[in-house]
Amino acid sequence: LTFAGRRAGNAAAPCLVSEFEWNADMTELIMQAVYSGLLQGGSYALIALGLALVFGAMKVINLAHGELVLLSAYVAYTVESQLGWNPMMAIPVSVVVVSLASASVYFLVGQIKTNREINSLTLTYGVGVILTNLILLIWKADVRATNSLWMQEAIVIGPLYSMRSELLFFGISVVLIAGLWWWLSRSWYGRAVRAVSSNRDAAKLMGINPGYTELISFIVAGILAAFAGVALFSYGVITPSYGGVLTVKAFIITVLAGMGSIPGVLIGALLLGVVEALTVTLASSALQELAGMGLFLLVLFVMPNGLFGATRRRG
Amino acid sequence: MKRSKMKLNKTIIGALLAVYIAVPLIFGDDSYLMSLVVASLVIGGVALSWALLGNLGGMVSFGHAAFFGVGAYTSAVLSMEYNLPVLLAMLFGGVGAIVAAITMLPVLRLRGPYFALAILAYAHIFKILATEWRSMTGGSGGIANIPTLPVVMGYDFSTKTGNYLVILSIVLIFAVIYELIRRSPQGLALRAMHDSEDATRVVGVNNTLLKGLMLIVSAFMCGVVGAFNAHYINFLEPDYAFSALWVTIPIVAAIFGGYRTITGPIIGAVVVYLVDQLIVKNMLPSGHQLVLGVLLVAMIVASPDGLLGLVRKFMRKKDAKA
Repeated sequence: LTFAGRRAGNAAAPCLVSEFEWNADMTELIMQAVYSGLLQGGSYALIALGLALVFGAMKVINLAHGELVLLSAYVAYTVESQLGWNPMMAIPVSVVVVSLASASVYFLVGQIKTNREINSLTLTYGVGVILTNLILLIWKADVRATNSLWMQEAIVIGPLYSMRSELLFFGISVVLIAGLWWWLSRSWYGRAVRAVSSNRDAAKLMGINPGYTELISFIVAGILAAFAGVALFSYGVITPSYGGVLTVKAFIITVLAGMGSIPGVLIGALLLGVVEALTVTLASSALQELAGMGLFLLVLFVMPNGLFGATRRRG
Repeated sequence: MKRSKMKLNKTIIGALLAVYIAVPLIFGDDSYLMSLVVASLVIGGVALSWALLGNLGGMVSFGHAAFFGVGAYTSAVLSMEYNLPVLLAMLFGGVGAIVAAITMLPVLRLRGPYFALAILAYAHIFKILATEWRSMTGGSGGIANIPTLPVVMGYDFSTKTGNYLVILSIVLIFAVIYELIRRSPQGLALRAMHDSEDATRVVGVNNTLLKGLMLIVSAFMCGVVGAFNAHYINFLEPDYAFSALWVTIPIVAAIFGGYRTITGPIIGAVVVYLVDQLIVKNMLPSGHQLVLGVLLVAMIVASPDGLLGLVRKFMRKKDAKA
C-alpha cells in the first residue's frame, strides 16, 4: 500500500487509487484499513464534538464549522510554506485564529432577533460561503499538502503501517477528548455548558450566565477545530471546497451517535473513519463519501435516535 | 376596493408586456446581457422553489442542488438516449426531481436543523451518484451536445430570445402555481403550521403529508428549471449540475427579495445575479461569492424578511417619530 494512494484516499481526492498488493493476505489489508480508519476517526471526533458542543449549548448548528477546520489547515500550510516550520508549530496560531473566528460566529448568531433556529442555519451557511471564498482568495484553488518528511515518515507497528502524523494526531485527539470530558464533567464552566444544554432557564436561575457559557462553548469548539485542521493538513490534502464536506461528515457522526454523549460521538467518528477506509480498500476511493452517506441513511431509517442517543429528535 | 384591483391588474398586464416584449426588443441584440438575464431567471426559478419550501413548508433546504442536478441529468439523458422531444423531457426532468424528493421523504421525520443538514447530505449523495454512474451520466467528463430547445410553430426557441421567453414563462407559471397553493385550504393550513405545528395537528391537519407534498412540488419546480438549463447551455458535468452555487445564490436571492413573498425571490435573483456578474465579478474575479456571503449574513442580521421588510421597518420608525 503506497502512501500516495493512502493520502488521496484520506482526503477524498479524485481517483488516485493505490496499487494494492493483491498478493497480500486479505485480512491483512482489512486490518490495515481498520487501523487507518481508526486513526482518521480521531480527527473526525474532534470536528464532530465541536459541532455537537455548540448545538448542545445554543441549539444552533454551525454550518460553517467545517470551514473553521479548513481555515486552521490553511494556517498550518502558511506556517509551513512561509516559515518552513513543522506544521505542529502552527497549532498555537491556529487556535487563536480559529477561536476568534468561532467567537465571531457566536456574535453574529447573537444578532439574530427572530426565529433563531432557522435563521441561524442560513446565517452560518453564509459565514461558510464567506470563509470558503476568503480561503479561495488568499490561498488560491490549488490542492495543498504538507512537505514535512518528518510528518510523513512511516511508523510500523507489527503488520500495521501509518504515517507519523496520523499516529501523533490520533494521540493528540485522545488527549483532547479526555480533556474535554474532564472539563465538561469536573470544571465549573464545563458543567455550566452542560447545565445550559439540558435546561437553559433552570441554569439561569442557578446563576449561570447563558450568553457567556455559549461563547465559551463556541471557543472550545474553535480550539477543537483548530487541532483537527492542523491534523488534516498533516496527513491529507486540502482544497478550499473541502469545508462543506467536513461539516456533512461531522453531522453524519452526530446522527450516528445521537446528540449529547461524548462516547457516542467518539464511537461514531471511529465508525465513520473505519467504514470510509474499508470502502477505499475494498471498492474505490471515489465511493468513500458514499459509504458514510450509506451509513447515515441506514441509521436514519433504522434507528432515528442514533446508536447511543436518548435525545428525542423526531418531529 | 374594486378600483384598486383593476389598477393592480393594469400594472400586472403592463409588467407582463414589458418583460415579454420590451425586454427582448431592447436587449435582444446584446447576447451577453441576454445570457445574463436568462441565467438570472434560472436562479430566480430555483429561488422561487426554495422559497416555496421555506415559506409554506417551514423547511430550510441546502439540498436544492440535488433537484436541479437530477432534473438536468434526467432531461438530458431522456432527450439524447431515448429521443424524447425536449419540452417533454424537461417535464420528465421535473418528475426525476420528484423521485429524488421521494427518496428524501424519511428526512421529514427530522426537525429544523436536522432536516437542513440531512438534505445537504442527500445533495452530496446525488452528486457522487452522477459522477460514478458513468454508463448513464458520462461520469465526471460530463455530457456534451445536449439538444437545444426546438422550433415550435416556426419560431426557433433555441435563440437567446427564445430561451428567454421559455424560462420567463416557466418561472411565471410556477409563480402562479405557488400563489394558487398559497390560497388553497392546504396553503392556509401550511401557513398556520408556522405558528404552531401541534395546534394544526390537533385540528386535523396532516402535517407530514403536507410538508412532503411541498417538498415534492418544490423539487418538481427546481427540476424543470435544471432541465431547462441543461438544454440552454447544452453541457452537463456533475460538478456544475450539483454545484453548491445552485443553493447559495437562490438562498441569497430569496432572502434578499423576501422569501415570504412570491415576487421577492424572482426579483431578488435578477438583481443579485446581475449585480454579482456585472459589478462584483469585475472587481473580484475569483472568490466573488464572498460578497454573496456577506450579503446573506447582513440580511439575516438586519432583516431576515427581505429588503422590503427593512424598508417597512424604516418607515414604521419614521412614523413613530412623527
